[in-house]
Amino acid sequence: MKLELKNLSKSYGQKQAVDRINISFVPGVYGLLGANGAGKTTLMRMICGILNPTSGKILLNGKTMQALGEEYYTHLGYMPQDLGFYPDFTAREFLLYMAAVKGLEPRQAKKRAKKLLHMVNLDREGDKKIRSFSGGMKQRLGIAQAELNDPDILILDEPTAGLDPKERVRFRNIISDVAKEKIVILSTHIVSDVSYIAHRILLMKEGRFLVNAPADTVTQVLDQKVWELLTDEQSAEIYSRKFLVSNLHHEGHRVRLRIVHDTAPACGAWAVELNLEDLFLYYFGQEAAEESRTEYDRAALKGEE
Amino acid sequence: MKTLVKFEFLKILRRKSTWIIMAVSLLVTIFLFGLLPVMQFQTYNSSGVIRGLDGIAYKKAEISKTSGTLTDEYVTETIRQYQILFQDPENVGYDGTEQYLIGDAYWDFEAYRGSLLSLIASNYDEPGTSSGYNNSLPTMDVSGGTDFYNQRSEKIQKLLDDPSNEMTQAQKNYWQSMNRQVKTPFEYGYYEGWSTLISCFELFMFPLLAICIVIAPVFASEYQAGTDAMLLSGKYGKTRLVRAKILASLLFGMAAFVIHILAAYAIPLSAFGIDGWDLPVQITNTVIPYPLTFLQAVLVQTGVLFLVLMALIGLTLFLSARMKSPYLVLTVIIPVMFIPMFLTPNGTTGIYNQILLLLPYQAAIPRWSNYISYTFGNIVFDVFSMRALFYAAAALVLILWSGRGFRRHQAA
Repeated sequence: MKLELKNLSKSYGQKQAVDRINISFVPGVYGLLGANGAGKTTLMRMICGILNPTSGKILLNGKTMQALGEEYYTHLGYMPQDLGFYPDFTAREFLLYMAAVKGLEPRQAKKRAKKLLHMVNLDREGDKKIRSFSGGMKQRLGIAQAELNDPDILILDEPTAGLDPKERVRFRNIISDVAKEKIVILSTHIVSDVSYIAHRILLMKEGRFLVNAPADTVTQVLDQKVWELLTDEQSAEIYSRKFLVSNLHHEGHRVRLRIVHDTAPACGAWAVELNLEDLFLYYFGQEAAEESRTEYDRAALKGEE
Repeated sequence: MKTLVKFEFLKILRRKSTWIIMAVSLLVTIFLFGLLPVMQFQTYNSSGVIRGLDGIAYKKAEISKTSGTLTDEYVTETIRQYQILFQDPENVGYDGTEQYLIGDAYWDFEAYRGSLLSLIASNYDEPGTSSGYNNSLPTMDVSGGTDFYNQRSEKIQKLLDDPSNEMTQAQKNYWQSMNRQVKTPFEYGYYEGWSTLISCFELFMFPLLAICIVIAPVFASEYQAGTDAMLLSGKYGKTRLVRAKILASLLFGMAAFVIHILAAYAIPLSAFGIDGWDLPVQITNTVIPYPLTFLQAVLVQTGVLFLVLMALIGLTLFLSARMKSPYLVLTVIIPVMFIPMFLTPNGTTGIYNQILLLLPYQAAIPRWSNYISYTFGNIVFDVFSMRALFYAAAALVLILWSGRGFRRHQAA
């Protein structure tokens, strides 16, 4: 199974949402990271055949999407961002309906729906109306519908957005379970989500891939860029304004700062090992870091509730 | 495909709004078609007014006395009896402008013959004029018979030759040919149930609107709810699903409209009776060119309404596939359906009139007695054939195009 994007571009007027992307996907989990507006959703929707590229090609096993026609979609499972549902349908009805859209025979559809409801831990809620579902339950139903046709390519757009930490862990495990021998493209701007399950990291900014590297070595692309230093509270505030601070930890009267910067931010600073969050921060700056943290804090708050 | 249609149908039925809109529409239809005409019905006898079902039963019994074949002899005899009554000053009243029968002469003769006398008198009026039977019949010379059907033919010829109607020879030939198929002499009798129906057809605009409101979200709600991306990325999202949505909408629309039709027809016909179903529509106006009985006329107009429904469903789906919200769809549908209500045709010819008479609200008004022709080269169509053709073509084009809108939708 090989999914290739060749010179894939999408522009809206003057704005270049996706800019000449070239990549080959083979089975594995791809963590697509980028700030809001980086072009992740546009790219995914083009792969899903629901948004026409301005230029470029999408090929599956060497054949273009157009040449494959309906067959292309049989390989595809898509869970969009801001997933919509039919509140008056039960979860089972929704899955059976989606199975019909995906071309499954009714008997096969029933079996798959049952199996997937069990997989996403919704077997007891299968006959309840979707209007009564929590956000997490809806997200789980979303991945179940994407998995209905047992696709070779699974595209998940921000699947963990709005979930509390417990739900996110559960969700990550589900994705890991279904990802075997599939191409899974998982888009998020929550770095910790992909750090656990992705085999390869794609960092996207302004419609282009800045980084395309295996997850276990991705941080090596930036050596000697993350620093730690211990300082007093007053200086910590100054450093926070001046540098990209990826972490701040109070240790008694002292503050331990983790700073992402090309050179040592101060004399006493020492280089430390880079993690994915630092990498994200390095490329996307303070705004993205805040976005990521805010999302995380919101989720954490939900968890506490 | 069957499963998809079933689920699409279910989606329409599961919405609370569907049931509320349909219930309101059905109640309004029952009220306007059935309850209102029955409640408002009143007739008179010498003792006073008789209302509702009692009034209907009384009128039915009275008019049945005049039932029969409208032969020249029957017409002549009716006029003669009327004239005899008029010759006795005791029977005649005068209001300063008109003379009319009063007292027993009125109650024993004219009261239940009003419609018949009116029909007879109008046959001798010049096209487009109405002198009233109490003005024309008392002085009509019937010594040599009435020549009722020749008079009808002459009146129709005058109507066709009237320069204001701007008829071509092909159009005149078309109408004369149609008129030749009208069977004479006419059978006359009680037909109140059918005349009630025929006078109410435009009220079907309300159920038509209700159906369009229910259908409006079929595509647009997918965009609004964000389910479009998920559906369009499915194997049949751009093909069978689109057809299933269209089929489910048509099925729902047809079923809902059949229920409305049944309710609308059943109540007045059970209250007023189905009597008269086999009588010719010419007994409401002798110049009507269509060779139809009341039942056939109602079926023809019902057929036209079904085609209007299909076209409106097509238009609703067409807009729904292109607009992001069902409310936006309605901002187009409602004016299309109801602006023609406020426009009045000023004749039967000219582009304005010809287009107006095809528009939804106007197409719901039968206009049996108007000679409305549409000519394409040498081919002439009457207004019913033209409406049927127009709406069938519109339905076909719009329904086919509506699918294209969803298929080409970009889930950006």
